[in-house]
This record gives sequence, structure tokens and C-alpha cells, in this order.
Amino acid sequence: MNEPAAECEFVAEPPADLASAEFSSLYAENSRAIYYLALRFLGDPQKAEDATHDVFLKAFRKLDQFRGEASLRTWLYRITVNHCQNLRQGWHDRHVFSNADDAVWENAVARTESPLRILETKELGQRIQKALDGLSDEYRLLLLLVADEELSYEQVGGLVGQSPDAVRGKLHRARKAFAVLFEKTA
Amino acid sequence: MKHHTKLSQEQQQQQAAEQQAQQQTVREFASAEELLRYDAAHTPVPPGIAQRLQKSTGDLPRPKTAWWKRLFGGANR
Repeated sequence: MNEPAAECEFVAEPPADLASAEFSSLYAENSRAIYYLALRFLGDPQKAEDATHDVFLKAFRKLDQFRGEASLRTWLYRITVNHCQNLRQGWHDRHVFSNADDAVWENAVARTESPLRILETKELGQRIQKALDGLSDEYRLLLLLVADEELSYEQVGGLVGQSPDAVRGKLHRARKAFAVLFEKTA
Repeated sequence: MKHHTKLSQEQQQQQAAEQQAQQQTVREFASAEELLRYDAAHTPVPPGIAQRLQKSTGDLPRPKTAWWKRLFGGANR
């Protein structure tokens, strides 16, 4: 989507005087993506703030071990995904939404095939969160990672342990499930 | 009668203005990812994170440059 420049008003704050120029630059370029993934995956702003801090602290400690085989963004995502999944592990079993329920989404009224039309409101973020919360961890993570245009399906697959083809297939179902849930939040 | 006409005109103008305002804020997204990208672009990063990081990293040794960067002087991505 082509966003008018004026709409992207929340530019990440100038990097604080962090420990090195390299690390400051790493934070400035990636903090929004990492915070957003943590926020929407965990569904809790305070937990997301803590997770983002912990992820960058871990990155700071291990920066010299970064092997350059993947992009820094992908490396940070890997740390974030592991961290967030660990946080959720304790209550995952109670909250998991089985993909076996895919039939529910497949049989949903085809209105979800049409574009998502929304009236922009302050509650948009809450609606998105509510819809994401209704998805399985796997679908939620897939949608959030694929939403980052810097990641290819192959890179997303690497992060979630799936082949690119599997990512495509699951993504189709995840989109549909999201659209159904999002409509219900209106 | 004239009063009623004027009132009606005012109401119509107000309704039209409200409708226009509503139309301006209706957005269309082709996919869930597009909607999420829009949401991400409008979600600010709390400034407290950078401040906390500054404190947390303050006592730690500065990170060494990654070995591959030392060898190749590489780009970030």
C-alpha cells in the first residue's frame, strides 16, 4: 500500500545514546518492527515493551556472534519469535486455537474475499488485536511476519520452521480466518 | 414555513458535512497484511524502551564488531 508520507507520522524516536553507533543504528532501523511483532503477538503493551527491551539487550550481547548469513532484521525476528513463544509457552495450551477448526473459516461467508473496508477509528488497533487474538499462534505469527515487506516467504518459512509452499498455503487460511474474525469486531 | 425551510437546509448541510467526513476516513485494504502494515506504521514505539536499554547496556562492554564485518566491512542487511 502506498502510504502518503504525512500518514507515517510515528517515525521511531531518534536513537538514544546507546552503547555504540552500530547498536543505535540497529535499534533505530528495527525497533518499530520488533515492538509491533511483540505487541500484536503477545497482545499486551507492557509485555511487548519488556520483550522489545529484552530482545535488543540479547542482540547487544550477541552482536559479535551475528554471522551475517541472514539479514539483521531476520536475526532480530528470530530472537523475538523465540522470546515471545517462550513467554506464551506457559499458557499456550489453555489458549491455543487448533488449526483443525480451519473448516470454520473455509465455510465462512465469502464476504471475506472482498477487500477489508474499515472506518478509521481510534479503536482500529483494538479491533486488529481482537481478531489476531482469535487466531492460533501459528497463524498470528505468519500474518505478522508476512506483513513485513522486507521478508520473503522463504525467510518467513525459516523463522517458523516451514517450507515457503507451506507458508503460502497456511497464509491463505490465516488471511481468511483473520478477515472473518475482523468482521466480527465491527 | 420559511423557518422550517431554513432549518431543513441547515440539517441537510450538516448531514452532508458529516457524510463527507465519514467518507474521508473510510479505508480499504486488499489484505490482512496491508491492514497490519498500516497499523504498524501508526503504532509508535514507546520511548521508555530506548531509555531502559541505555541503562541496561551502560555497564556492559561495548559490542565488538561482528567477525564477518571485520573481514568484509559488510552492509547491515
